[in-house]
Amino acid sequence: MIELREVSKTVMSGSEPLTILHPLSLQIPRGEFVAIVGPSGSGKSTLLGLIAGLDAPSGGSVLIDSVDITRLGEDALARLRGEKVGFVFQFFHLIPSLTAYENVAVPMEIAGVADARARAQRLLEEVGLTGRSHHYPSQLSGGEQQRVALARALANDPPIVLADEPTGNLDSANGRHIMELLRGIHDKRATTVVLVTHDRELADMADARLVLRDGRVVENTLEEEREPFRRAMPPR
Amino acid sequence: MTFVLRMAARETRASWRRLLFFFVCIAVGVAAIVALRSVIQSVREVFGSEARGLLAADVLIATNREWPADARTTVDRRLAEAGSTERTETIETPTMVRPADRSKAIAKMAELRAVQSGYPLYGSVVLQGADTYAYSLLQHHGTLVRPELLTALGVQVGDQITIGQAAFTIRGVIASEPGRRVGGFSLGPRVMIDYADLPSTGLLSFGSRADRRLHARVPDDRIDDLVRTLRDDFKDDFINTRSYRSTEDQIGRDFDRAENYLSLVGLIIVILGGIAVSSVTRVFILQKIRSIAVLKCVGARSGQIIAVYILQVMTLGLAGSLLGVAIARGVIAAIPLALGASTSLLAQAHYGVSWSAAAQGIGIGVLVSLLFSVVPLLQVRFIKPSLLLRDETVRRRADWLAIAAIVVVSVALVALTAWQAASLRVGLVVCAGFAGLAVVLHFAGRGLVALLTPLANSRSFPLRHAVLHLSRPGNQTRVILLAVGLGAFFIVGVRSLQASLLSEFSVQVDANSPDMFLLDVQKAQVEGVRAFLGDKSHGAGEFQLIPVMRARVVGVAGRETTLESADDVRRSGMSIGREFTITYRDHLEANERIVEGTFWTSPSAEPEVSVENDLAARAHLHIGDTIRLDILGRTIAAKITSIRDVEWRESRNGGFVFVFRPGVLEQAPQTWVAPMKGPATPAERARFQHDLVERFPNVSVIDFHEILETIRDVMSKVTLAISVVGGLVLFSGALILIGAVAMTKFQRVYEAAVFKTLGANTRTIARMLLLEYGVLGSLAGLIGSLGAIVLTWGVSKYALEIPWRIFAGEHVAGVLLTSVLVAAIGVLSSLDVLRNKPLATLRAE
Repeated sequence: MIELREVSKTVMSGSEPLTILHPLSLQIPRGEFVAIVGPSGSGKSTLLGLIAGLDAPSGGSVLIDSVDITRLGEDALARLRGEKVGFVFQFFHLIPSLTAYENVAVPMEIAGVADARARAQRLLEEVGLTGRSHHYPSQLSGGEQQRVALARALANDPPIVLADEPTGNLDSANGRHIMELLRGIHDKRATTVVLVTHDRELADMADARLVLRDGRVVENTLEEEREPFRRAMPPR
Repeated sequence: MTFVLRMAARETRASWRRLLFFFVCIAVGVAAIVALRSVIQSVREVFGSEARGLLAADVLIATNREWPADARTTVDRRLAEAGSTERTETIETPTMVRPADRSKAIAKMAELRAVQSGYPLYGSVVLQGADTYAYSLLQHHGTLVRPELLTALGVQVGDQITIGQAAFTIRGVIASEPGRRVGGFSLGPRVMIDYADLPSTGLLSFGSRADRRLHARVPDDRIDDLVRTLRDDFKDDFINTRSYRSTEDQIGRDFDRAENYLSLVGLIIVILGGIAVSSVTRVFILQKIRSIAVLKCVGARSGQIIAVYILQVMTLGLAGSLLGVAIARGVIAAIPLALGASTSLLAQAHYGVSWSAAAQGIGIGVLVSLLFSVVPLLQVRFIKPSLLLRDETVRRRADWLAIAAIVVVSVALVALTAWQAASLRVGLVVCAGFAGLAVVLHFAGRGLVALLTPLANSRSFPLRHAVLHLSRPGNQTRVILLAVGLGAFFIVGVRSLQASLLSEFSVQVDANSPDMFLLDVQKAQVEGVRAFLGDKSHGAGEFQLIPVMRARVVGVAGRETTLESADDVRRSGMSIGREFTITYRDHLEANERIVEGTFWTSPSAEPEVSVENDLAARAHLHIGDTIRLDILGRTIAAKITSIRDVEWRESRNGGFVFVFRPGVLEQAPQTWVAPMKGPATPAERARFQHDLVERFPNVSVIDFHEILETIRDVMSKVTLAISVVGGLVLFSGALILIGAVAMTKFQRVYEAAVFKTLGANTRTIARMLLLEYGVLGSLAGLIGSLGAIVLTWGVSKYALEIPWRIFAGEHVAGVLLTSVLVAAIGVLSSLDVLRNKPLATLRAE
């Protein structure tokens, strides 16, 4: 389970402090498929980064499976990400010097997984890239690159996959394909998926929705799920 | 560990092209170390095995006078005691040699060696062609000569040459002989004759400068005792004893020094390579920021990532070092080709890369790669994976770990340098020098860039941006200034020094000063020579005949200094223990000035002497002191009545430490010398020498024009050698430059694309690049040139003691060539920046 307690993020913009995320608390249960939606600059990606331990909050704490990751050092965080979190970025962020297969194998090699090679091939198969495993990122289309990134996110079979606008840089057909893959992963493996998007249509493919505006939560269907009686109430 | 190994292999596979120059930099330095060390080791091997050959004996006993009768008895006794099994004698003297054919009006100074049948005890005389040396070739007025003499005199094997008063038939050409040092200075080519024929030449007249040598074969365990005993026996005589071992020791020390200093030069090139490595690593990490962030995002720890890159750096360092060894092999293989059919000792060495040199080179290459990349690699720790979510700049920070790394790296560099130079002091001095130079160049670079800042407001768009680029973030200005500036410094400095030395010698051979020197004129010949020189038909100009004799100080009775015996004098350490050439006259020369006392104007029967200022000060001699001199066996006690200042630079007529008052030494055994102005043209000079030697066969002529040629030749070789080293440094600089350009290219490509989108055409961007690198090159050239001025000043004033001159031409050419070179390399290696289409570049960003 992912739990955020009064998490906030403030950065310095010139000499002025700028609050990107106002204190917020929420719980994402294991196996949930949540979409975080909101316009540009609403704090979606920042929130995702905080959940992944890619960034440190200015206040509050983030707990993953009851472990407060805000208390962990850089190396412990890296280890935690390697084991528990898979990340998919809008701009794919594949390592340009490695082939598709190597990009997928890297997290397993870091974790010291024994059958990294076979598993990487299986994952590439799963995302439909069997014949492209020895191609470099520059030789792949955007959609293919994102599928490699998805396979990489699944490398260590993490219980959590975080996806930051994974379709934002793709055409609609490729975007849909990626979403179907994500959905399939969630359904097949019971993986917790947190998806950041500003596309309402894509967000509708998720089970729950968290809407951000100016760094504040304006809608949270996660709570409605837990408390069905509240659904009838008007939004706050 | 598997991850680290695999990632290092993948990264190397992916980026070896970009890092190509990284290992070329290391390769050049390693090649320099390995080649220099190996060559010295090869040459040393020849010398080591030839140390006996250099003396042609186990023990050599030599004197530059007639053997005193009792000395011969002592030598005989001591050799018998030491169990000497064999001995042979030689006499060496410089003399004039001329063709017996009188139609050839030429004479040349040669170094005559008269040998007995046993010569050489060690080593061998090698003749050109199929001839083998045999003593019989010399017997009955036969002679063997060096090939240079054949050319100079226009004679060949079978012809006759005249030495002194006797004619000799040339029976062979000497290719190599024992006792000839590599690069040793000689007055002329070697001529060998039979010992028994020497008297017939009439050269051994009184006071002539002949070196009599006794070569002995002695059992190995008795050598040191014998040398010690003989030195003790002859401590008051002009007899010198040495063994091949002392020669070997001396040569060994010389070679150690040469090997260590040359390796140091190689190390400096490697360190330059290291600076390049450091800058490459820094830029490389900048380029790899996203990949590193991704690795951290998928679970890699900073330590693992640093390990990946360290492994990669060491792999490249190893590859570069191996390439360096290969280059060194190639260069060394070419040496015999370069030496051609040369017969010197250098050509006898078996050249090859020695294992120890290769191992040292590889070790240094890998170590320097590691040392110089560690600090920039530590920046990996500050790369946050969050930059994948939003644009963040990675701030370079210095923390305790980075500071500790810098300290460790510095200590390691000092240790490395000290190891290479085989001296901690030299290691510290070189590292401090490097650090100092880097600091100076850093501030000079900053200062010069600051001076250029007003140009950033220039109306010219290319100039404005060229200047701005010099101080933009991630600029390579300092690195290029250091590397290229250092190369320019070496080359301009060495060339200026060469020009300075040559002009110093040229000044000495100016229109009015003496340019020929007659030696060994016997007392009975003085009037004849005077008449010969005075006869205008021979073409001689101004001349002077000066009596000279050799003397040694054997005692001083003075206010401050009291030395009872020759032994006391030698032990006093007051630099009066050596042999002096003295004269007597009643006037001061133009280069002399009395600083104390009064100079005589008339002869006196009381011995009086005038002493040169510096020596008087060093030996604490004063007016009124009495100094005892041994002049060819006669002791004369003379009173010091004046102290003279001598301008040694103009000492052709009067370079004497001791000048006696006339009236005492006239009857002493003496020879005369004559500084003179020779005829103007080479043909007239040759004829003059020939005619003079025809009349006075024992007289030697030194022609300063020929010596100047020799000096010029030696110096051009030395300059070439140093220039090659300077060239290597400059080459490393050029590599660093290419690397720096390649490394900042990603930034430039993007900028150029933006400029193009905004309307700049290719020509404008090319001009911008040309100006940027032109300015950078000029700054580097200027810094190098300024450094060279300081260098030439220091070396001229303190090492060579010649007046300091600035050769503007060398400096201007240095600055211009450096700026053209840097501009050309800069623009040529940025061609794709000009060619790339902007849209593709902008999309890729």
